[in-house]
Amino acid sequence: MSSSSLPATPAPPAGVPVPAPAPPRAPVRRTRGAARRLRRRAGVDLALLAIAALFVLPLVWLLFASLDADASLRVGAPSPATMDNFDAVWTQEITFRPMLNSLLLCGGATLLTVVCAALAAYPLSRYRSRLVRPYLLTVLFTTCLPLTAIMVPVYGLYVQVELIDSLLGTALFLAATQLPFAIWLMKNFMDGVPIALEEAAWTDGASWLQTLLRIILPLMGPGLTVVTIYSFIMMWGNFFVPFMLLLTPDQLPASVTLFTFFGSYDTVVYGQLAAFSILYSTPVILLYVLIARKLGGGFALGGAVKG
Amino acid sequence: MSTLTQQPAEPEPTPPPASVSPKATGTVRRHRPLRWLPLAPATVLLLLFLGGPIVYCVAIAFTDMQLTGSSSTSFVGFDNFQRAFDDKHFRNAVVLTLTFTFLSSIVGQNTLGLALALLMRRASKPVRTLTGSIVIAAWVVPEIVAGFLLYAFFRDEGTLNSVLDWAHLPSQDWLYSAPIVAVSIANVWRGTAFSMLIYSAALSDVPREITEAAEVDGAGGWRQLWFITLPMIRRSIGTNLMLNTLQTLSVFGLIWAMTRGGPGNRSQTLPVFMYDQAFLKALIGYGTAVALLLLLIGALFSAVYLRLLRTEV
Amino acid sequence: MRPTAPLILSAALAITATSLTACGAFGNDPNTLKVVYLRNTDNKVRHMDHYLSMVKKQFEREHRGKKVKLIPIQAAQPDYWVKIQQMMRSSKTAPDVVYEDTFIINSDVASGYLRPLDRYLRTWRDWDAFLPQARTAAKAEDGKTYGVPIGTDTRGLWFNKKVFATAGLPTNWQPKTWDELLTAARTIKKKVPGVIPLNVYTGKGPGEASVMQGFEMLLYGTGADPLYDPKAKKWIAGGQGFKDALGFLKTVYGERLGPHPSDAVDPNVTTRVATELLPEGKVAIALDGSWMGQFWRETGGRPWPEWSRALGQAPMPTQYGDPPGKVSMSGGWTWAIPAKSEKPDLAWKLIETLQTQPNAVEWTLRDAQIAVREDVATDRRYLTSMPGIRFFTDLVRHTHYRPALPVYPRVSSAIGEAMEAVTTSGTSAASAAKDYDKELRSIADGKVVNRSR
Repeated sequence: MSSSSLPATPAPPAGVPVPAPAPPRAPVRRTRGAARRLRRRAGVDLALLAIAALFVLPLVWLLFASLDADASLRVGAPSPATMDNFDAVWTQEITFRPMLNSLLLCGGATLLTVVCAALAAYPLSRYRSRLVRPYLLTVLFTTCLPLTAIMVPVYGLYVQVELIDSLLGTALFLAATQLPFAIWLMKNFMDGVPIALEEAAWTDGASWLQTLLRIILPLMGPGLTVVTIYSFIMMWGNFFVPFMLLLTPDQLPASVTLFTFFGSYDTVVYGQLAAFSILYSTPVILLYVLIARKLGGGFALGGAVKG
Repeated sequence: MSTLTQQPAEPEPTPPPASVSPKATGTVRRHRPLRWLPLAPATVLLLLFLGGPIVYCVAIAFTDMQLTGSSSTSFVGFDNFQRAFDDKHFRNAVVLTLTFTFLSSIVGQNTLGLALALLMRRASKPVRTLTGSIVIAAWVVPEIVAGFLLYAFFRDEGTLNSVLDWAHLPSQDWLYSAPIVAVSIANVWRGTAFSMLIYSAALSDVPREITEAAEVDGAGGWRQLWFITLPMIRRSIGTNLMLNTLQTLSVFGLIWAMTRGGPGNRSQTLPVFMYDQAFLKALIGYGTAVALLLLLIGALFSAVYLRLLRTEV
Repeated sequence: MRPTAPLILSAALAITATSLTACGAFGNDPNTLKVVYLRNTDNKVRHMDHYLSMVKKQFEREHRGKKVKLIPIQAAQPDYWVKIQQMMRSSKTAPDVVYEDTFIINSDVASGYLRPLDRYLRTWRDWDAFLPQARTAAKAEDGKTYGVPIGTDTRGLWFNKKVFATAGLPTNWQPKTWDELLTAARTIKKKVPGVIPLNVYTGKGPGEASVMQGFEMLLYGTGADPLYDPKAKKWIAGGQGFKDALGFLKTVYGERLGPHPSDAVDPNVTTRVATELLPEGKVAIALDGSWMGQFWRETGGRPWPEWSRALGQAPMPTQYGDPPGKVSMSGGWTWAIPAKSEKPDLAWKLIETLQTQPNAVEWTLRDAQIAVREDVATDRRYLTSMPGIRFFTDLVRHTHYRPALPVYPRVSSAIGEAMEAVTTSGTSAASAAKDYDKELRSIADGKVVNRSR
């Protein structure tokens, strides 16, 4: 199971990292070009570091501000470093309840997405029919739609069918938005599992569900992990959907409470805001590191999304 | 990388279970529509929660539904669309959306992503790992956190201006004087990792021998890039541009957190305009009509993208 | 995997589904009243929260088995309207009691979001104590009353006496015209650098605060009925006063007499003026509301006992000093019951508790409101505890009310847009006024009269 089973995958609303085998290293030719090459590499390194520095500045600010008792908007080392900001946001109202809401919402929606996608991927991957191609094309087409646009109608619809302000309703919609891409990924991963193993099970009279659960899914473990974690990360960061569909403050996930927090006015609040941002971002960063590790070690990230 | 499964829609022909043992129960099973049952949950979910809203969107776009000020909703034909094309704020939003997409997606993410991928091929391993992790970290942090970070970065008393001061360059209040530039750069910051990943993958498929052969023939860096490397990854470029554009079209949270579309309406792209009209101005019908237009633009791009895939794969 | 796998899977799904629903379903408990109110965006300003939890305790003590659930919406005002309207649209989310501004009430009545209260008011003895003006404050076009007003307000100029002394200006300053106001601001800019000479709210961010405190305080000083003609029942387009009021803003922000435009259009600016700029002496003159004391009292978010000596008050002058020489605008908030509330009778009981005489006094003091009830206006605590209350109460005689019409919030939003245009870009007052006229025609559905010469 490697990225090669992820062919010409289109269109994730944001790509998924899948390790590519490290590019074959060309044998270094020991010619007079060697010195020049070394110089050029140093130049390249410098250029990259310069870009990295620009990218890292806002992140450094976040880190410093979270440790600074009176953080300003300007990046500066805190003196002295303190955990006061973390202490201040480490409360039921600011951190735990929103994070728990996020977990319920995104966890539930992810579970739903993965189960539906795995089920759907099975016939799409294993049966042949004239329906498969149009179905997949439709799924692909949906993947690309700017779903931001339907948030206003979804709100209207949810008011009419009384799903507004319900975690379940919101989770269902989140699952639906993530589903097209999850089906696509899952189907491609499933294509990579050789059929031979299933044949034995069929002769034993196993049903499709048994085959799927006992043979295919265990074999595509890494793929399943990618789909699960990727869906979760996308939902965890989603702001617009819960912002529109949930109203009661008690139910809001961290993405929305962070926005409220950010919109609130308080001269000393930047440090706390930074601390909460870090707490809120940590789970997805850890999960990302987990898939990057699990699937490829280090930074050999390749294309789930090659053309 | 292997290319054995380069076809998205037509997988290696996999025999249906039934065909394995024609004499077993399978023969019956093959013709049973029930075997498509696993497709049902996903299909139902998609139809109800994506199909439903799209249909509803089309319906509401032709009405004058309001959030407040009127309890009745009536059919108004093409009034909302007429209104949109007459509305200079709508035209402003279209222009800003194009600017935002052009600056952040086509120029920013795409070019910077390609540059990063190219440079990383030649860089030393620690630098490559470090840069990659930082760029990807910017991409992994949730949208609202990114919005907050970059708000702090671009504010008058923020980090960018202190860097500019330090370099003796003129500083300015970015979110006020050039809000659309600020949010575009923010989107570049957040989205470049995606292009970088696509291009890294694409470049890893370009055999080194080819570039080296070109080098032996005396092709310089730029010529080599232009005549050899770029043509070889043109498919990836197409894909990447299309996907970036589609993602950029639907950016809401980042802009909402940084500027709320202001000051005035100088960073009000279509999604922000849509929200503003539907809720803050209480014109749900009109906002939905704008949503429908946005959806149509997206559908158009999406169709072009599918087309692109089909001819290329 | 064991054969029980499908079972486990469906169990997991079922559990998720129930836990997700459980979390969303607390809403319809017949013994719990949901009260939605606006929480200030400054995390230190919590006087309303404290007042409400006090009343909640009292109510729960007096009504055994009933619960009150306080639902604060922490947001800038324009976002608060959107949220409560969204909530009131569905019976699932509609609160039982809602904190509504008279500014939006007619619009929400037209949407069918609110319930008429006449049935309850008829038998409520305290209603007789409400002043006549207050009794009509929440009366809609259909003649029914939809909210119980809990206070009113006036607007005027607050100024920092110390800054005035430094600038050589009289500490009993009373400007007679717009020009005198601007002259004072210019003097301060020259003599006291580092202090914002004049704060006038502007732009879309602060919402109705900009439009009412900023724009209409100017507009209503330019002549009679400058916004809406109640006799002709038509909105006014092309008025000179409208252009002049925008021109005033253009001058203030163009000459940098106000805060930096990017701060001025920030939704948090209203709070910032109250809790930072005025107490710290960073703004010299502020065109603001009578309720500012709410922040500075001991219950407020920024206790500042010296405020009554540090600040002076002056009425906002009319444009050229035409009689009566001063302008004020008045509004106020109410408690209302959404149409989709399923327990209006119990909700009414809560409003009665909120408006017992002692609670009404308590709220009026904490929120630094101008009393709307006879029995509050004459209460000793009210008369003695609030410096400046006499000044602002006197302004009631010259005050104006906004057109009480369903489309007013949309007109207000169009005004906010015009203000933001002249403040943050090169748009001229005349061209912003022209855009407003166009917008007005579409909002008012043709009920517009052109006053341009």
